[in-house]
Amino acid sequence: MPLETATGAVRTGLIAFAFLSYLILIGIPGRIGGPALPVLALIAALFFWLKLRRESNEPSREATGQRQDSFDDKPGWEIGPRAASKGSRLRDLLHTHSGTAPILYGLLAGLTTGLLIAIVSGIFAAAMGNGIAIQPVLDKIVPLNVAALIGVSPGQIAQSDVSFIRFIFQVLLFAGAGVLAGLTAAGGGYGLKQAAFLDRLTTHLSGATLTSAGRFAGMALPFVLLAYIAWLGLPGVTAFGTNEGTVRLLLTLIATGSGLFTLRLSRPGREQMAVAVLLGLGVFSMPFILDQFQNSVMGLVFIFVMMGLGLNIVVGYAGLLDLGYVAFFAIGAYTYAFLSAPFSSPYISGLLILLGISPESPLLGYWMALPVAMLTAAVGGILLGIPVLRLRGDYLAIVTLGFGEIIRLFMLNLGELTNGPRGILEISQPALFGHTPVDVTFGLLSSQGWIFLLALVSSALVAFVATRLNESRLGRAWFAMQEDEDVAEATGVHLVRTKLLAFAIGATFAGMAGQLYAARQINIFPENFSLFVSIDALALIIVGGIGSPAGIVLGALALKGLPEVLRGVDEYRIVTFAALLVIMMIVRPDGILPSARRRIQSPDPEEAGAAGEPELREEDPGLRENGEALAKGAGVREEDP
Amino acid sequence: MTSSPVKAQAAGTDGRAALKQFTRALGVAIVLLVIWRVTTVGLAEGYPVSFWISQALNGLVLGGVYALVALGYTLVYGILFMINFAHGEVMMIGGITGFFALQFAQARGWMEGPWPVVVVALLLIMFVGMAASVVIGVTLERLAYRPLRQAPRLVPLISAIGASLFLQYSVLLIFGVSPHSYRKPALISGGLRLGDVFIPYTGAIIFVTSILLMLALFFIIQRTKLGRAMRAVAEDRSTASLMGVDVNAVIVVTFMLGSALAGAAGVMLGFHNTVVKFNSGFIPGLKAFTAAVLGGIGNIPGAMFGALILGLIEAIGPSALGIPTEYKDVIAFTLLVLILIFRPTGLFGEVLSEKKA
Repeated sequence: MPLETATGAVRTGLIAFAFLSYLILIGIPGRIGGPALPVLALIAALFFWLKLRRESNEPSREATGQRQDSFDDKPGWEIGPRAASKGSRLRDLLHTHSGTAPILYGLLAGLTTGLLIAIVSGIFAAAMGNGIAIQPVLDKIVPLNVAALIGVSPGQIAQSDVSFIRFIFQVLLFAGAGVLAGLTAAGGGYGLKQAAFLDRLTTHLSGATLTSAGRFAGMALPFVLLAYIAWLGLPGVTAFGTNEGTVRLLLTLIATGSGLFTLRLSRPGREQMAVAVLLGLGVFSMPFILDQFQNSVMGLVFIFVMMGLGLNIVVGYAGLLDLGYVAFFAIGAYTYAFLSAPFSSPYISGLLILLGISPESPLLGYWMALPVAMLTAAVGGILLGIPVLRLRGDYLAIVTLGFGEIIRLFMLNLGELTNGPRGILEISQPALFGHTPVDVTFGLLSSQGWIFLLALVSSALVAFVATRLNESRLGRAWFAMQEDEDVAEATGVHLVRTKLLAFAIGATFAGMAGQLYAARQINIFPENFSLFVSIDALALIIVGGIGSPAGIVLGALALKGLPEVLRGVDEYRIVTFAALLVIMMIVRPDGILPSARRRIQSPDPEEAGAAGEPELREEDPGLRENGEALAKGAGVREEDP
Repeated sequence: MTSSPVKAQAAGTDGRAALKQFTRALGVAIVLLVIWRVTTVGLAEGYPVSFWISQALNGLVLGGVYALVALGYTLVYGILFMINFAHGEVMMIGGITGFFALQFAQARGWMEGPWPVVVVALLLIMFVGMAASVVIGVTLERLAYRPLRQAPRLVPLISAIGASLFLQYSVLLIFGVSPHSYRKPALISGGLRLGDVFIPYTGAIIFVTSILLMLALFFIIQRTKLGRAMRAVAEDRSTASLMGVDVNAVIVVTFMLGSALAGAAGVMLGFHNTVVKFNSGFIPGLKAFTAAVLGGIGNIPGAMFGALILGLIEAIGPSALGIPTEYKDVIAFTLLVLILIFRPTGLFGEVLSEKKA
């Protein structure tokens, strides 16, 4: 085994150790309990296998014009003898020595990882056995966690009663994991074949080229799930032996999401119409089926769908990066709160008494307040829009971010007007003809179900308006402006009006969402309107697929719905979400469901997603030139039909 | 919208001219309003001069810290055109690591020793914090940004936001929720009294250190071969690569420099504020980014002066305008909005930045 490969194996082992020690430091072994050690070994094996697979695959991928693995980022000018030899040497080994080299590689990597893990857990165990507490420094290094890592009971750690065999076992386990990975990678080229199969499978799934039988099975999925969810709602029925609300919530999220895929898979025309009607019926029956908790989560999801659709107009259609979108959400929420909650600021109640209205009763109902909230938000949008008309790109981003913070700080500090951090309480619920449907439907519709229903209706409305706007003259003006402001102006786009309309319409939708949010929360506080709301809204449209309404729904389901399902592992919710966000951007930067317009622009949807060529063209001509010169992968792609 | 293209274009330029005049008038009005407010408040309150001086000194200390962090933003932006949203967290990790280094030093009794020992120990602590930040910064670049170099601009931004959250909550999980409080050694816990003006030692040290670090950075960028390579890559990445500059190496070095400065800022902020916890990098990071934009992002002297101006305004603004200190963030952001309205590429932004922005 050449030295170079050996050092590569040790390095792989070190990286695996770094990742595993992160998991140990955040307390994962303690959370898993008994089977923690095998689970960690399996993770290591998976990592080794991926590494082996990639190194052996790389040259063949390049030859077929596949996307070059961006982790190893070798821009064009560096593809010299050095870069080429590194990948191919291992490949040669894989083929000529059929089997032994990858196994040795895995063994070495596994031994490295195992030894380091054994040393670290030995140090921890020894320290704890001698009564040195590690916890004040590393919060999660408690006996429970270390014990799970070594495979003994916490009591044994405290009495420093851990036999040396345990550590040898650890090393052997990881070495075994390495050998397993090597075997899988080397097994007579089986690993390579499997990898190719996986590649093909992913291409097929996203390219919507499923066979017709698979297509119909896939299309039936949301309806089957919906039926199952409804059945779960019947009294006495349990899911997998437990009547966990989260299981049902997860199924609801999957059903809604897969419904969107179904819609996309169905053939345009009669079939699509039928699917759309059925799906609509299914989705609109959800508020009646689900319980209070699931309804409240789904309500929030669809409020964020509205936010996402509005922000999408500003960012996705008009290309104006807005990081302070929460401001309009807050304006909508506070406007409704002022109009409908018993607390009114001294200013407002004084005004009301002057006008001869009792300040005790809500001033306006939900429906009367709706245009007011929308209008206020739109005015806010224009007021923000005017000063930032001349700004571009990142300058715009920071100014809008500042605007969002200013609004929040005002709500926090203008105690007389907004009741400060104590918030506005007892915001009245939306009614219909003087009754809330909760009373009328004999308990079929819970209060949160009513909010969910409203959110559904409103987001359907918003989605319709947004789509029509995008296809209108104004939408084309936005698109032209996003491509190049100067060219757009030269071809007759009125920049000031177009930009302000984008801000105003986006803000209007956020105002609607904010009002519904206030009704959902009943009590609102300035803390509900932090920068993270803007970030969430932006992240969901990018994760879902910028410019695509279906993608936005998916993004909201994934970003606002899934974390609620993960409440059981509350501690790890945010790190998981954050890591997924990064991975998602690397693996699929165009979002789950990219918009049709973006797909039309590029010859091959998959490859466009990988390189983001059209977006570069839209945003920065200078950068695109750089990008083209740099992107060796892109160059190959253009030659490849 | 139904008018002919030519007409619409004319309307567009008319709109622009009108807008320009409108913003100019607005600018004059705002400046007059601020002057009026400051004079009336100044006359009514009658603070002594020493009060203003100590506020200004506070502002300079804060500005120095912001400047170190802002330089990281601006360096990365100048080369990659991306907002490294996680830079504040890189700073926070420097602060946390510095805390543990300080604990270690205190446990060994180095902090009670003769003054050369204490000084060396403090320098070591700062160095440890910087090293930790460099490790995190480079890892971040490798894992979260490098794969996205060719992607549209929003994509690395989202990745950076994800990385920022990931770092914050990883620190929360690994080191626990409770804030870690720095205990200042006796040598630097006092202060200097000049008449009515009190200057805490930490403040003076922070200011001097940040100026020294900025000078070092300036030297590296202007006088070394490495700096020349960095400037070349910032100017034109592909041409630089044709001239034999290793672009990847330059980008890594940029992240190292920026992270090192942020780590130093983190440790110093720890000594100054006495506490550091998982989210204590977020707000300073945001402020530093504001400062970088204020000075014209991508522009190194711009970031330094933008940060000093921001620090000064934040310290003096609330008392000068006679409003509660809770509004200091409002003042900072309002100032940013106003400056960008009149100078859309920041105070020191040049044609260059307009091309890239």
